[in-house]
Amino acid sequence: MNPEMLTKWLIRWGGTAAMIAVLTAGAGDGVAQESVAVRAALVTGTLPLDDPNAAAWNNAAPAVFPMSPQVHWPERIQQVTVQDLTVRALHDGTQIAVLLEYADPTEDPDDAAAIEFMVGDKKAHFAHGQPMLLVEGGPVNIWYWKSKDNKGVDLWAKGFGTLRPHEHQDVKAKGEYANGKWRVVFSRSLATDHPDEDAQITPGQFINIAFAVWDGRKDDAGQVIEKGSQKAVSSWWYFRAEPPPDYSGYVYAGVAAVLALGFQFVLIRKLKEGQSA
Amino acid sequence: MGRALIRPIVIMGAMYAFLKFVLPNIPGSAEIPASLIILYLLLTLSGIIIFETLSAESKDAFWGPMQRFLTGENIGGLQPLRYGILVLFPVLVGWQTYNATAPSDSPPAENRVIHPAPPGEYTGLANPVPKTPENIMQGKGFYAAFCSPCHGANFDGKGPAARGYNPPPANFADPTTIAMLQESYLFWRIKKGGVGLPIEGMPWKSAMPRWELELPDEWIWKIIMGEYDGAHQTPRTWE
Repeated sequence: MNPEMLTKWLIRWGGTAAMIAVLTAGAGDGVAQESVAVRAALVTGTLPLDDPNAAAWNNAAPAVFPMSPQVHWPERIQQVTVQDLTVRALHDGTQIAVLLEYADPTEDPDDAAAIEFMVGDKKAHFAHGQPMLLVEGGPVNIWYWKSKDNKGVDLWAKGFGTLRPHEHQDVKAKGEYANGKWRVVFSRSLATDHPDEDAQITPGQFINIAFAVWDGRKDDAGQVIEKGSQKAVSSWWYFRAEPPPDYSGYVYAGVAAVLALGFQFVLIRKLKEGQSA
Repeated sequence: MGRALIRPIVIMGAMYAFLKFVLPNIPGSAEIPASLIILYLLLTLSGIIIFETLSAESKDAFWGPMQRFLTGENIGGLQPLRYGILVLFPVLVGWQTYNATAPSDSPPAENRVIHPAPPGEYTGLANPVPKTPENIMQGKGFYAAFCSPCHGANFDGKGPAARGYNPPPANFADPTTIAMLQESYLFWRIKKGGVGLPIEGMPWKSAMPRWELELPDEWIWKIIMGEYDGAHQTPRTWE
Protein backbone atom coordinates (compact mmCIF):
# COMPACT_ATOMS: atom_id res chain seq x y z
CA MET A 1 0.00 0.00 0.00
CA ASN A 2 1.58 3.31 -1.04
CA PRO A 3 1.32 6.42 1.18
CA GLU A 4 -1.43 7.97 -0.95
CA MET A 5 -3.59 4.85 -0.77
CA LEU A 6 -2.95 4.56 2.97
CA THR A 7 -4.10 8.16 3.51
CA LYS A 8 -7.32 7.56 1.53
CA TRP A 9 -7.95 4.33 3.44
CA LEU A 10 -7.46 6.07 6.80
CA ILE A 11 -9.78 8.93 5.85
CA ARG A 12 -12.51 6.57 4.61
CA TRP A 13 -12.47 4.11 7.52
CA GLY A 14 -11.52 6.66 10.16
CA GLY A 15 -14.41 8.86 9.04
CA THR A 16 -16.85 5.94 9.14
CA ALA A 17 -15.68 4.96 12.64
CA ALA A 18 -16.08 8.55 13.85
CA MET A 19 -19.63 8.70 12.42
CA ILE A 20 -20.56 5.43 14.12
CA ALA A 21 -19.13 6.74 17.42
CA VAL A 22 -21.17 9.95 17.15
CA LEU A 23 -24.36 8.05 16.24
CA THR A 24 -24.03 5.52 19.07
CA ALA A 25 -23.24 8.28 21.58
CA GLY A 26 -26.40 10.10 20.47
CA ALA A 27 -28.48 6.93 20.76
CA GLY A 28 -28.60 7.27 24.56
CA ASP A 29 -31.26 9.33 26.30
CA GLY A 30 -28.87 12.20 26.93
CA VAL A 31 -28.18 11.27 30.55
CA ALA A 32 -24.50 11.36 31.47
CA GLN A 33 -23.01 8.07 32.59
CA GLU A 34 -23.46 8.00 36.34
CA SER A 35 -20.56 7.14 38.59
CA VAL A 36 -20.27 3.70 40.15
CA ALA A 37 -17.21 4.20 42.31
CA VAL A 38 -15.34 6.78 44.38
CA ARG A 39 -11.61 6.40 43.83
CA ALA A 40 -9.39 7.88 46.51
CA ALA A 41 -6.14 8.86 44.84
CA LEU A 42 -2.91 8.15 46.69
CA VAL A 43 -1.06 11.39 47.45
CA THR A 44 2.37 11.99 48.90
CA GLY A 45 1.87 15.46 50.37
CA THR A 46 -0.30 16.63 53.25
CA LEU A 47 -3.93 15.47 53.15
CA PRO A 48 -6.62 18.21 53.44
CA LEU A 49 -8.10 16.42 56.48
CA ASP A 50 -10.03 19.44 57.77
CA ASP A 51 -10.03 21.78 54.79
CA PRO A 52 -12.98 21.37 52.39
CA ASN A 53 -11.61 24.11 50.14
CA ALA A 54 -7.98 22.98 49.89
CA ALA A 55 -6.41 23.17 46.43
CA ALA A 56 -5.53 19.45 46.72
CA TRP A 57 -9.19 18.60 46.08
CA ASN A 58 -8.87 19.92 42.53
CA ASN A 59 -6.68 16.92 41.75
CA ALA A 60 -9.19 14.37 43.08
CA ALA A 61 -11.49 12.84 40.45
CA PRO A 62 -15.16 13.65 41.25
CA ALA A 63 -17.84 10.95 41.30
CA VAL A 64 -21.49 12.08 41.10
CA PHE A 65 -24.30 10.06 42.66
CA PRO A 66 -28.07 10.65 42.30
CA MET A 67 -30.05 10.97 45.53
CA SER A 68 -33.60 9.84 46.31
CA PRO A 69 -36.10 10.62 49.06
CA GLN A 70 -35.90 7.87 51.68
CA VAL A 71 -38.95 5.67 51.03
CA HIS A 72 -37.80 2.32 52.36
CA TRP A 73 -39.29 2.60 55.82
CA PRO A 74 -41.46 5.03 57.83
CA GLU A 75 -41.23 7.89 58.34
CA ARG A 76 -40.89 8.37 54.60
CA ILE A 77 -40.45 11.61 52.69
CA GLN A 78 -41.65 12.38 49.18
CA GLN A 79 -39.37 15.25 48.20
CA VAL A 80 -35.84 16.22 49.17
CA THR A 81 -33.66 19.22 48.42
CA VAL A 82 -30.44 17.50 47.41
CA GLN A 83 -30.68 15.73 44.06
CA ASP A 84 -27.01 14.96 43.38
CA LEU A 85 -23.94 14.49 45.49
CA THR A 86 -20.38 14.99 44.25
CA VAL A 87 -17.79 12.93 46.09
CA ARG A 88 -13.99 13.16 45.99
CA ALA A 89 -11.46 11.27 48.09
CA LEU A 90 -7.72 11.27 48.77
CA HIS A 91 -5.49 9.10 50.95
CA ASP A 92 -1.83 8.92 51.89
CA GLY A 93 -1.60 5.24 52.84
CA THR A 94 -2.49 5.99 56.47
CA GLN A 95 -5.34 8.54 56.51
CA ILE A 96 -8.34 8.92 54.22
CA ALA A 97 -10.21 12.16 53.48
CA VAL A 98 -13.60 12.16 51.72
CA LEU A 99 -15.17 15.38 50.45
CA LEU A 100 -18.94 15.62 49.90
CA GLU A 101 -20.20 18.57 47.87
CA TYR A 102 -23.85 19.42 47.20
CA ALA A 103 -26.15 22.32 46.39
CA ASP A 104 -28.36 23.57 49.21
CA PRO A 105 -30.06 26.96 48.78
CA THR A 106 -29.95 27.80 52.51
CA GLU A 107 -27.45 27.34 55.30
CA ASP A 108 -29.25 25.88 58.32
CA PRO A 109 -27.99 24.63 61.71
CA ASP A 110 -29.71 21.28 61.09
CA ASP A 111 -28.09 20.67 57.69
CA ALA A 112 -26.38 17.29 57.91
CA ALA A 113 -24.64 14.65 55.81
CA ALA A 114 -23.44 11.09 56.32
CA ILE A 115 -21.34 8.38 54.73
CA GLU A 116 -22.18 4.71 55.27
CA PHE A 117 -19.93 1.65 54.92
CA MET A 118 -20.50 -2.05 55.48
CA VAL A 119 -18.57 -3.54 58.41
CA GLY A 120 -16.95 -6.97 58.08
CA ASP A 121 -17.43 -9.54 55.34
CA LYS A 122 -21.23 -9.85 55.42
CA LYS A 123 -23.38 -7.70 53.13
CA ALA A 124 -25.44 -5.11 54.99
CA HIS A 125 -28.72 -3.59 53.79
CA PHE A 126 -28.21 0.03 52.76
CA ALA A 127 -30.98 1.16 55.14
CA HIS A 128 -28.96 1.10 58.40
CA GLY A 129 -28.08 -2.58 57.88
CA GLN A 130 -31.60 -3.69 58.69
CA PRO A 131 -32.05 -7.48 58.87
CA MET A 132 -32.78 -9.31 55.62
CA LEU A 133 -35.16 -12.28 55.65
CA LEU A 134 -33.21 -14.86 53.63
CA VAL A 135 -29.64 -13.54 53.93
CA GLU A 136 -27.63 -13.03 57.11
CA GLY A 137 -26.46 -9.43 56.98
CA GLY A 138 -23.79 -7.46 58.79
CA PRO A 139 -23.69 -4.05 60.51
CA VAL A 140 -22.93 -0.64 59.02
CA ASN A 141 -20.54 2.10 60.10
CA ILE A 142 -21.89 5.63 59.61
CA TRP A 143 -19.79 8.81 59.58
CA TYR A 144 -22.14 11.68 60.44
CA TRP A 145 -21.73 15.44 60.34
CA LYS A 146 -24.18 18.17 61.39
CA SER A 147 -23.76 21.86 60.60
CA LYS A 148 -24.37 23.23 64.11
CA ASP A 149 -21.80 20.88 65.70
CA ASN A 150 -19.41 20.91 62.72
CA LYS A 151 -17.67 17.72 63.81
CA GLY A 152 -17.67 14.07 62.87
CA VAL A 153 -19.63 11.42 64.75
CA ASP A 154 -18.72 7.76 64.38
CA LEU A 155 -21.86 5.56 64.48
CA TRP A 156 -22.80 1.89 64.25
CA ALA A 157 -26.12 0.24 63.34
CA LYS A 158 -27.56 -3.16 62.56
CA GLY A 159 -31.20 -2.55 61.83
CA PHE A 160 -33.74 0.14 62.65
CA GLY A 161 -33.55 1.53 66.17
CA THR A 162 -30.02 0.22 66.78
CA LEU A 163 -28.10 3.36 65.73
CA ARG A 164 -25.58 4.30 68.41
CA PRO A 165 -22.33 6.26 68.61
CA HIS A 166 -19.12 4.33 69.04
CA GLU A 167 -17.34 4.53 72.37
CA HIS A 168 -14.24 5.36 70.37
CA GLN A 169 -14.74 8.30 68.04
CA ASP A 170 -12.31 7.97 65.14
CA VAL A 171 -14.00 10.18 62.53
CA LYS A 172 -13.35 13.89 62.01
CA ALA A 173 -15.55 16.13 59.87
CA LYS A 174 -15.70 19.79 58.90
CA GLY A 175 -18.13 21.61 56.64
CA GLU A 176 -18.01 25.00 54.98
CA TYR A 177 -20.91 26.70 53.26
CA ALA A 178 -20.38 29.12 50.37
CA ASN A 179 -22.24 30.18 47.22
CA GLY A 180 -25.22 27.89 47.85
CA LYS A 181 -23.05 24.82 48.30
CA TRP A 182 -21.92 22.68 51.21
CA ARG A 183 -18.48 21.18 51.11
CA VAL A 184 -17.97 18.70 53.94
CA VAL A 185 -14.76 16.77 54.49
CA PHE A 186 -14.71 13.55 56.53
CA SER A 187 -11.43 11.96 57.61
CA ARG A 188 -10.23 8.90 59.48
CA SER A 189 -7.32 6.47 59.50
CA LEU A 190 -7.65 3.76 56.83
CA ALA A 191 -7.56 1.01 59.45
CA THR A 192 -8.72 1.10 63.07
CA ASP A 193 -8.35 -1.14 66.10
CA HIS A 194 -12.07 -2.02 66.03
CA PRO A 195 -12.76 -4.13 62.93
CA ASP A 196 -16.08 -5.33 64.40
CA GLU A 197 -17.44 -1.80 64.51
CA ASP A 198 -15.50 0.23 61.94
CA ALA A 199 -15.19 -0.12 58.20
CA GLN A 200 -11.60 -1.07 57.37
CA ILE A 201 -10.19 0.48 54.21
CA THR A 202 -7.49 -1.54 52.45
CA PRO A 203 -5.85 0.17 49.45
CA GLY A 204 -6.72 -1.65 46.24
CA GLN A 205 -9.88 -3.25 47.62
CA PHE A 206 -13.36 -2.16 46.52
CA ILE A 207 -15.86 -1.76 49.37
CA ASN A 208 -19.46 -0.52 49.39
CA ILE A 209 -20.34 3.07 50.21
CA ALA A 210 -23.65 4.96 50.50
CA PHE A 211 -24.63 8.52 51.39
CA ALA A 212 -27.37 10.50 53.13
CA VAL A 213 -28.06 14.25 53.26
CA TRP A 214 -30.52 16.27 55.33
CA ASP A 215 -31.53 19.81 54.35
CA GLY A 216 -32.15 21.38 57.75
CA ARG A 217 -34.63 24.07 56.56
CA LYS A 218 -37.85 24.54 58.54
CA ASP A 219 -41.49 24.66 57.43
CA ASP A 220 -43.89 27.51 58.26
CA ALA A 221 -44.65 25.92 61.64
CA GLY A 222 -40.95 26.02 62.54
CA GLN A 223 -40.45 22.25 62.19
CA VAL A 224 -37.36 20.86 60.46
CA ILE A 225 -38.63 19.10 57.30
CA GLU A 226 -35.79 16.67 56.65
CA LYS A 227 -34.89 14.87 59.87
CA GLY A 228 -34.25 11.32 61.07
CA SER A 229 -35.35 8.86 58.40
CA GLN A 230 -36.74 11.70 56.30
CA LYS A 231 -33.64 12.41 54.24
CA ALA A 232 -32.05 12.10 50.82
CA VAL A 233 -30.30 8.75 50.36
CA SER A 234 -28.17 7.01 47.77
CA SER A 235 -27.92 3.31 46.98
CA TRP A 236 -24.78 1.30 47.64
CA TRP A 237 -21.94 2.25 45.33
CA TYR A 238 -18.25 1.37 45.37
CA PHE A 239 -15.27 2.97 47.09
CA ARG A 240 -11.59 2.22 46.66
CA ALA A 241 -8.41 3.72 48.08
CA GLU A 242 -6.11 3.43 45.08
CA PRO A 243 -3.13 1.14 45.70
CA PRO A 244 0.47 2.23 45.06
CA PRO A 245 1.45 1.77 41.40
CA ASP A 246 1.97 -1.93 40.70
CA TYR A 247 4.50 -2.70 37.97
CA SER A 248 4.58 -6.45 38.62
CA GLY A 249 2.49 -7.08 35.46
CA TYR A 250 5.29 -5.59 33.33
CA VAL A 251 7.91 -7.68 35.16
CA TYR A 252 5.94 -10.92 34.60
CA ALA A 253 5.38 -9.97 30.94
CA GLY A 254 9.11 -9.30 30.46
CA VAL A 255 10.08 -12.61 32.08
CA ALA A 256 7.52 -14.48 29.93
CA ALA A 257 8.78 -12.79 26.73
CA VAL A 258 12.40 -13.66 27.58
CA LEU A 259 11.40 -17.28 28.28
CA ALA A 260 9.54 -17.43 24.93
CA LEU A 261 12.61 -16.01 23.19
CA GLY A 262 14.81 -18.61 24.92
CA PHE A 263 12.40 -21.36 23.90
CA GLN A 264 12.64 -20.24 20.27
CA PHE A 265 16.42 -20.13 20.47
CA VAL A 266 16.69 -23.65 21.91
CA LEU A 267 14.10 -25.05 19.49
CA ILE A 268 15.82 -23.64 16.40
CA ARG A 269 19.24 -24.81 17.59
CA LYS A 270 17.90 -28.32 18.17
CA LEU A 271 16.26 -28.32 14.74
CA LYS A 272 19.50 -27.19 13.10
CA GLU A 273 21.43 -29.91 14.95
CA GLY A 274 18.90 -32.46 13.69
CA GLN A 275 19.25 -31.24 10.11
CA SER A 276 23.04 -31.36 10.14
CA ALA A 277 23.09 -34.81 11.80
CA MET B 1 5.27 -24.80 1.40
CA GLY B 2 4.42 -28.45 0.79
CA ARG B 3 0.99 -29.85 0.11
CA ALA B 4 1.19 -31.69 3.43
CA LEU B 5 0.98 -28.33 5.18
CA ILE B 6 -1.72 -26.79 3.02
CA ARG B 7 -4.16 -29.61 3.72
CA PRO B 8 -4.14 -29.17 7.56
CA ILE B 9 -4.50 -25.39 7.15
CA VAL B 10 -7.51 -25.88 4.86
CA ILE B 11 -9.05 -28.42 7.24
CA MET B 12 -8.59 -26.10 10.26
CA GLY B 13 -10.08 -23.16 8.32
CA ALA B 14 -13.04 -25.22 7.15
CA MET B 15 -13.64 -26.54 10.67
CA TYR B 16 -13.60 -23.01 12.09
CA ALA B 17 -16.00 -21.75 9.39
CA PHE B 18 -18.32 -24.71 10.04
CA LEU B 19 -18.38 -24.15 13.82
CA LYS B 20 -18.69 -20.38 13.58
CA PHE B 21 -21.04 -19.87 10.64
CA VAL B 22 -22.76 -23.13 9.63
CA LEU B 23 -23.55 -24.97 12.85
CA PRO B 24 -25.35 -22.02 14.57
CA ASN B 25 -27.67 -21.75 11.56
CA ILE B 26 -28.81 -25.37 11.65
CA PRO B 27 -32.39 -25.36 13.02
CA GLY B 28 -32.46 -26.19 16.71
CA SER B 29 -28.81 -25.22 17.17
CA ALA B 30 -27.33 -22.09 18.75
CA GLU B 31 -24.23 -19.89 18.74
CA ILE B 32 -21.22 -21.86 20.00
CA PRO B 33 -19.12 -20.22 22.74
CA ALA B 34 -15.57 -19.23 21.75
CA SER B 35 -14.08 -21.54 24.40
CA LEU B 36 -15.90 -24.53 22.86
CA ILE B 37 -14.75 -23.55 19.35
CA ILE B 38 -11.15 -23.48 20.58
CA LEU B 39 -11.63 -26.90 22.20
CA TYR B 40 -13.01 -28.38 18.97
CA LEU B 41 -10.17 -26.82 16.94
CA LEU B 42 -7.58 -28.28 19.34
CA LEU B 43 -9.19 -31.71 18.95
CA THR B 44 -9.10 -31.29 15.17
CA LEU B 45 -5.44 -30.26 15.32
CA SER B 46 -4.61 -33.27 17.51
CA GLY B 47 -6.33 -35.53 14.97
CA ILE B 48 -4.39 -33.95 12.09
CA ILE B 49 -1.04 -34.35 13.89
CA ILE B 50 -1.76 -38.01 14.70
CA PHE B 51 -2.83 -38.66 11.10
CA GLU B 52 0.10 -36.83 9.52
CA THR B 53 2.70 -38.58 11.67
CA LEU B 54 1.46 -42.15 11.15
CA SER B 55 4.27 -43.00 8.70
CA ALA B 56 7.86 -41.75 8.39
CA GLU B 57 7.14 -40.24 4.94
CA SER B 58 4.04 -38.36 5.99
CA LYS B 59 5.85 -37.20 9.13
CA ASP B 60 8.70 -35.72 7.08
CA ALA B 61 6.25 -34.16 4.65
CA PHE B 62 4.37 -32.58 7.57
CA TRP B 63 7.17 -31.39 9.83
CA GLY B 64 9.81 -30.82 7.13
CA PRO B 65 8.50 -27.49 5.77
CA MET B 66 7.95 -26.19 9.32
CA GLN B 67 11.47 -27.11 10.37
CA ARG B 68 12.95 -25.51 7.25
CA PHE B 69 10.90 -22.37 7.87
CA LEU B 70 12.03 -22.11 11.50
CA THR B 71 15.70 -22.76 10.77
CA GLY B 72 15.54 -20.42 7.78
CA GLU B 73 17.26 -22.80 5.36
CA ASN B 74 16.44 -22.31 1.69
CA ILE B 75 13.26 -20.34 2.34
CA GLY B 76 14.20 -17.42 0.07
CA GLY B 77 11.61 -14.65 0.17
CA LEU B 78 9.97 -15.99 3.33
CA GLN B 79 12.93 -14.85 5.44
CA PRO B 80 11.31 -11.51 6.51
CA LEU B 81 8.15 -13.40 7.51
CA ARG B 82 10.28 -15.77 9.62
CA TYR B 83 11.93 -12.88 11.44
CA GLY B 84 8.52 -11.28 11.93
CA ILE B 85 7.13 -14.41 13.56
CA LEU B 86 10.24 -14.89 15.72
CA VAL B 87 9.79 -11.34 17.05
CA LEU B 88 5.99 -11.49 17.31
CA PHE B 89 5.83 -14.72 19.31
CA PRO B 90 7.69 -13.44 22.43
CA VAL B 91 5.78 -10.15 22.20
CA LEU B 92 2.44 -12.01 22.15
CA VAL B 93 3.48 -14.23 25.07
CA GLY B 94 4.48 -11.11 27.04
CA TRP B 95 1.24 -9.35 26.20
CA GLN B 96 -0.92 -12.33 27.22
CA THR B 97 1.03 -12.65 30.47
CA TYR B 98 0.52 -8.96 31.22
CA ASN B 99 -3.24 -9.26 30.62
CA ALA B 100 -3.45 -12.31 32.85
CA THR B 101 -1.43 -10.88 35.75
CA ALA B 102 -2.15 -7.12 35.72
CA PRO B 103 -4.35 -6.15 38.72
CA SER B 104 -7.96 -5.27 37.83
CA ASP B 105 -8.99 -1.65 38.11
CA SER B 106 -12.75 -2.27 37.79
CA PRO B 107 -15.34 -2.61 40.55
CA PRO B 108 -16.58 -6.18 41.08
CA ALA B 109 -19.05 -7.33 38.42
CA GLU B 110 -22.60 -7.67 39.72
CA ASN B 111 -24.80 -10.41 38.31
CA ARG B 112 -28.05 -9.59 40.01
CA VAL B 113 -31.03 -11.85 39.25
CA ILE B 114 -33.98 -9.53 38.64
CA HIS B 115 -36.75 -12.11 39.11
CA PRO B 116 -35.39 -14.80 41.45
CA ALA B 117 -37.50 -17.85 42.25
CA PRO B 118 -40.06 -17.18 45.01
CA PRO B 119 -40.40 -19.38 48.11
CA GLY B 120 -42.69 -22.37 47.54
CA GLU B 121 -45.59 -20.97 49.57
CA TYR B 122 -45.91 -18.05 47.16
CA THR B 123 -46.23 -20.05 43.93
CA GLY B 124 -49.61 -20.49 42.32
CA LEU B 125 -51.65 -18.42 44.79
CA ALA B 126 -54.84 -17.09 43.20
CA ASN B 127 -55.94 -13.50 43.79
CA PRO B 128 -58.78 -13.93 46.33
CA VAL B 129 -60.23 -10.47 45.62
CA PRO B 130 -62.94 -10.39 42.90
CA LYS B 131 -61.87 -8.44 39.80
CA THR B 132 -64.59 -5.81 39.93
CA PRO B 133 -64.17 -2.26 38.59
CA GLU B 134 -64.50 -0.98 42.16
CA ASN B 135 -61.70 -3.19 43.48
CA ILE B 136 -59.44 -2.29 40.53
CA MET B 137 -60.16 1.40 41.12
CA GLN B 138 -59.39 1.00 44.82
CA GLY B 139 -56.17 -0.84 43.95
CA LYS B 140 -55.12 2.03 41.72
CA GLY B 141 -55.77 4.42 44.59
CA PHE B 142 -53.52 2.39 46.92
CA TYR B 143 -50.94 2.22 44.11
CA ALA B 144 -50.98 6.02 43.77
CA ALA B 145 -50.46 6.43 47.51
CA PHE B 146 -47.85 3.76 48.23
CA CYS B 147 -46.17 2.67 44.97
CA SER B 148 -46.23 5.56 42.51
CA PRO B 149 -43.51 7.67 44.23
CA CYS B 150 -41.00 5.13 42.87
CA HIS B 151 -42.83 3.08 40.23
CA GLY B 152 -44.43 6.17 38.67
CA ALA B 153 -47.95 7.43 38.07
CA ASN B 154 -47.60 5.99 34.56
CA PHE B 155 -46.43 2.59 35.88
CA ASP B 156 -43.12 3.16 34.05
CA GLY B 157 -40.70 3.03 37.01
CA LYS B 158 -40.04 6.74 36.73
CA GLY B 159 -41.60 8.13 39.89
CA PRO B 160 -40.17 11.26 41.51
CA ALA B 161 -38.32 9.19 44.15
CA ALA B 162 -36.79 6.74 41.66
CA ARG B 163 -33.70 8.53 40.41
CA GLY B 164 -31.25 7.63 43.16
CA TYR B 165 -32.11 3.95 43.47
CA ASN B 166 -29.94 1.22 42.07
CA PRO B 167 -31.44 -1.20 41.11
CA PRO B 168 -34.11 1.09 39.65
CA PRO B 169 -37.79 0.50 40.49
CA ALA B 170 -39.47 -1.95 38.08
CA ASN B 171 -41.17 -0.56 34.98
CA PHE B 172 -44.54 -2.35 34.88
CA ALA B 173 -45.30 -1.13 31.35
CA ASP B 174 -42.26 -3.07 30.13
CA PRO B 175 -43.47 -6.46 28.82
CA THR B 176 -40.54 -8.21 30.54
CA THR B 177 -41.67 -7.41 34.09
CA ILE B 178 -45.15 -8.12 35.52
CA ALA B 179 -46.46 -9.48 32.18
CA MET B 180 -44.04 -12.39 32.64
CA LEU B 181 -45.04 -13.00 36.25
CA GLN B 182 -47.97 -14.52 38.07
CA GLU B 183 -50.04 -12.50 40.51
CA SER B 184 -48.70 -14.67 43.34
CA TYR B 185 -45.14 -13.57 42.47
CA LEU B 186 -46.12 -9.91 42.83
CA PHE B 187 -47.87 -10.75 46.11
CA TRP B 188 -44.57 -12.18 47.43
CA ARG B 189 -42.47 -9.25 46.21
CA ILE B 190 -44.81 -6.57 47.58
CA LYS B 191 -45.33 -8.35 50.89
CA LYS B 192 -41.67 -9.12 51.67
CA GLY B 193 -40.04 -6.23 49.78
CA GLY B 194 -36.35 -5.87 49.01
CA VAL B 195 -35.21 -7.44 52.29
CA GLY B 196 -37.15 -10.61 51.39
CA LEU B 197 -35.11 -11.31 48.25
CA PRO B 198 -32.84 -14.36 48.16
CA ILE B 199 -29.08 -13.75 47.90
CA GLU B 200 -29.02 -13.81 44.07
CA GLY B 201 -31.44 -10.85 44.12
CA MET B 202 -28.95 -8.79 46.21
CA PRO B 203 -31.47 -7.78 48.90
CA TRP B 204 -28.98 -5.34 50.49
CA LYS B 205 -29.39 -3.00 47.50
CA SER B 206 -33.18 -2.92 47.15
CA ALA B 207 -35.21 0.03 48.48
CA MET B 208 -38.55 -1.80 48.09
CA PRO B 209 -40.39 -1.62 51.44
CA ARG B 210 -41.55 -4.75 53.24
CA TRP B 211 -45.23 -3.82 52.85
CA GLU B 212 -46.56 -6.72 54.98
CA LEU B 213 -45.61 -4.58 58.00
CA GLU B 214 -47.87 -1.75 56.84
CA LEU B 215 -50.60 -3.02 54.50
CA PRO B 216 -53.21 -5.80 54.89
CA ASP B 217 -53.07 -8.67 52.35
CA GLU B 218 -56.36 -7.58 50.79
CA TRP B 219 -54.90 -4.17 49.88
CA ILE B 220 -51.85 -5.84 48.33
CA TRP B 221 -54.07 -8.06 46.12
CA LYS B 222 -56.02 -4.96 45.08
CA ILE B 223 -52.78 -3.10 44.30
CA ILE B 224 -51.76 -6.03 42.06
CA MET B 225 -55.03 -5.73 40.14
CA GLY B 226 -54.58 -1.98 39.83
CA GLU B 227 -51.01 -2.41 38.58
CA TYR B 228 -51.91 -4.84 35.81
CA ASP B 229 -54.89 -2.74 34.72
CA GLY B 230 -52.97 0.54 34.82
CA ALA B 231 -49.93 -0.83 32.99
CA HIS B 232 -52.18 -2.54 30.38
CA GLN B 233 -50.67 -5.94 31.11
CA THR B 234 -52.14 -9.30 32.06
CA PRO B 235 -50.69 -11.72 34.59
CA ARG B 236 -48.91 -14.81 33.32
CA THR B 237 -50.99 -17.94 33.77
CA TRP B 238 -50.12 -21.63 33.42
CA GLU B 239 -52.68 -23.06 31.01
